[in-house]
Amino acid sequence: MPSTKTRPIEKFAKATAKCSAEAAAYGKCVVADYNAIHKDMCAKEFLKLKDCFLAASKKV
Amino acid sequence: MSLTKLMRPLVRSRIPTSTNSYPSATITPCLARRTYAMQTPGNPVMEIFNRRVKHLQKDRAAHNVEESRKTDYIKDEVAMRLCERLLDIKRDFPQVLDLGANSCNIARALTTPMPDPASETGGTLEPLASRISHLTCIETSAGLLNRDMSHGFNEKLAITRQVVPDLETLPYAENSFDAVLSSLSIHWINDLPSLLAQVNKVLKPDAPFIAAMFGGDTLFELRTSLQLADLERRGGVSPHVSPLADVRDVGGLLNKAGFKMLTVDIEDIVVEFPDTFSLMADLQAMGESNAILHREMGPLSREVLLANEAIYRQLHMEEGARGIPATFRLIYMIGWKEGAGQAQPLERGSGQLNLKDILGGGSFENK
Repeated sequence: MPSTKTRPIEKFAKATAKCSAEAAAYGKCVVADYNAIHKDMCAKEFLKLKDCFLAASKKV
Repeated sequence: MSLTKLMRPLVRSRIPTSTNSYPSATITPCLARRTYAMQTPGNPVMEIFNRRVKHLQKDRAAHNVEESRKTDYIKDEVAMRLCERLLDIKRDFPQVLDLGANSCNIARALTTPMPDPASETGGTLEPLASRISHLTCIETSAGLLNRDMSHGFNEKLAITRQVVPDLETLPYAENSFDAVLSSLSIHWINDLPSLLAQVNKVLKPDAPFIAAMFGGDTLFELRTSLQLADLERRGGVSPHVSPLADVRDVGGLLNKAGFKMLTVDIEDIVVEFPDTFSLMADLQAMGESNAILHREMGPLSREVLLANEAIYRQLHMEEGARGIPATFRLIYMIGWKEGAGQAQPLERGSGQLNLKDILGGGSFENK
C-alpha cells in the first residue's frame, strides 16, 4: 500500500480534531452521569458535534 | 406371582412364560426398560476467539511491511524485558522454542547486547544469543513470521521459522526443548490450560517456560469509552475489545499444568497517542484487533467513532497531557518443569528465623 494515499480514518481524525469544543461538551455530558447512561441521553450535544464534524469534513 | 418372574429382565434367565402369566401390564414395562449409562460430559471446549479472523488480521497487518515495522514498539520492548529475565538463569540453552513468534521479536532481542548492571561505565554484556544454540520460531501467519528474514539479526543466531496451522497444538515430541519463550501471543489462545500442559510436556525436565502476555486491564480506557459511546449512541453494548486473562488466574493455570516454582508479575506500559483513531490504527497494524467469536461484524459506525473520541478524551485524558493514554498491562510468568535435583520449597514450619524480627511490626499481642 503506498503511503502517500491518505486513509479515510486520517481524514476522519482531522475533521474531528477541529471540533474540540463540541467534543468536550458532549464528553462532559456523557461522563457527568456515566453510571446511569441510556440511549440518546446527550443527543442534543451529539448533534452539535456531528454538525461541526460534517462541516469540517467538507473542508478537509 | 413368584419372585423370579418379577426379576426376569434383570437376571436374564430364560423362563418360559405364557402370555397369560403376565399379571398386569402396568408393572412389566417399568422393569423391562433398560437404559444406557450416561457418560458425564468432559471438559467444555473453550472457544473465545475466532482463529481464522486472527490469522487474517496478522497476515494483513504484515502485508503492509512499513506500518507493521513501525508499530512493533510494544512487541520489541516486551521481548527485551522478557529476555532480561533469562539473564538470571546461568545456563546454556541448546534448543529453545519461541511460541507465537510474531515477527521474531524475541530473536531480535536475544541478539541485542544487554547493558551490564554491574558495570558503571555503561559496558554491555554479551548478547544472550551466545548461550542459545538453536531457536525455533513458530507462528500461524507466514507473512508476519518471514517479514524480517533479511535483517542482520538472523545471522547471529540459528533460527528455524515454522508456520503452524494453529498455536493450540504443539507438533513436538516430549522432552525436546531446554526452554520455551513466548512474547505477546498466548493471550489469543482459546484453550490456555491445554496449551500450558503441552508446553510442560515438550520441555525437558527442570527447564523453564518464560512468557509475557497482555492481561486484565489492558486497554481499559478504550474498553470503557467504547462501551459508553455504544450505550449513548445505540442503546446497547457489543464487545469491541477482546477479553483477557486475569493476573490472579495465571498462577492457578500454571500450577494446574504441572509447573513448579512459579513467578508471576505484572507491569503496566502506558503509551500516549494523539487521538483514539491512531490508537486503533496502530492496534490494527500490530495485528492485535478484536477477534472475539461473537462480535459484531463490520467496522464501527462513524457515529460511535466520533462519540468514542469525545468520551475517551473527557474520561481518561489527564489535564495538561498532550495525548490520550493507553495502558498495556503485561503479565510475565515463569514456571519450571519438574525435574530431579530441582530446588524445592522448604516444608511448612521449618523456618529458623522469624520474619517479624527482620521486617519488624505486625505484633499480635499488643493489639
